Amino acid sequence: MGINNNETTTSSINTDSINIAGSKKEKVIEICITMPTQAYFLSGIRDFTLNLIKNMTEFSEQWAYRFQSIIDELCNNAIEHGSKEGEIIKIIFQNSPKEYIQIMVDDSGTGPDHLKASEITKLIEERKNQKVVNHLIRGRGLPKIVAEWTDELEFSDNPDGGLRVRVKKNLNDPKMKEKIGNNLENPNHIVLN
Amino acid sequence: MTEININIEDLAVSTPNIVLKTISFKGQLDETNVDEKAKLIYALFEKDPKNLYLLFNFSDLEYMNSKSIGYLTDWYGKVSEGGGKIVIASARPNILDILEVVGLTQLINCYPSIDEAKLALLPEDSANAAPAA
Repeated sequence: MGINNNETTTSSINTDSINIAGSKKEKVIEICITMPTQAYFLSGIRDFTLNLIKNMTEFSEQWAYRFQSIIDELCNNAIEHGSKEGEIIKIIFQNSPKEYIQIMVDDSGTGPDHLKASEITKLIEERKNQKVVNHLIRGRGLPKIVAEWTDELEFSDNPDGGLRVRVKKNLNDPKMKEKIGNNLENPNHIVLN
Repeated sequence: MTEININIEDLAVSTPNIVLKTISFKGQLDETNVDEKAKLIYALFEKDPKNLYLLFNFSDLEYMNSKSIGYLTDWYGKVSEGGGKIVIASARPNILDILEVVGLTQLINCYPSIDEAKLALLPEDSANAAPAA
């Protein structure tokens, strides 16, 4: 596990940052975890996430539990579909104090039914827009739990062939304002208001 | 495997042809254990496919993932098909939160206490519902 303190200024924070003239933004704290492709470790990751959000951020306890579910669903998706047994998945937590939490989960792309970013984006959109109640055992994690409880959900293809899933939740849940660069042109970028 | 204990208890009822059980969960339901533990519940349907009334006691359930909710939805379908009913009692706030976000609370009623859940499950039997001998 590695912990980086990356000092960032307003101008280097991506897209939806609000310019605070003359002020120095707090450091974005990044924690990276790599784990084997085994569900066995998920309870530990959930506990870590719960305590991380509770103790290191200003999100409420309700949100700490929600992030517990979010990380479980993201990691489980990577384990089940993204990385084969014996490989690893990588989890990156980024906390911008008083602003947002961002979580990224990378798989190795070696999973049995690994999907490309565009394919999974389409699948999630279909499931989110389903008018019929889902009576299946599977298919709720990403479109329901993760999509509902985050402000941004983005899938991207890593250069090494794996998939990255990025979620972001703003502490104050502002409406999306003007952005630098237009993420809306990226079909893999789902912005949730 | 993440720890989860499931205790199934029969409750005596005066209404004929009704089978009433409480199912108490203690621990966490996740990918490591949910498939295996779900078999215990499916076994109930095999034994009593009709008029099965289930009270899920979630007071000690700390976490449930989306697949366990999927199973819960399937159980609801099976119980309903057989003329029975499912209620949930004493779910913790984080569990209720998950159930609400996936819409399961629109299918299965959740009650803050076991007594209220029993009353809702079998109103005419609520005073008589006691552990089976």
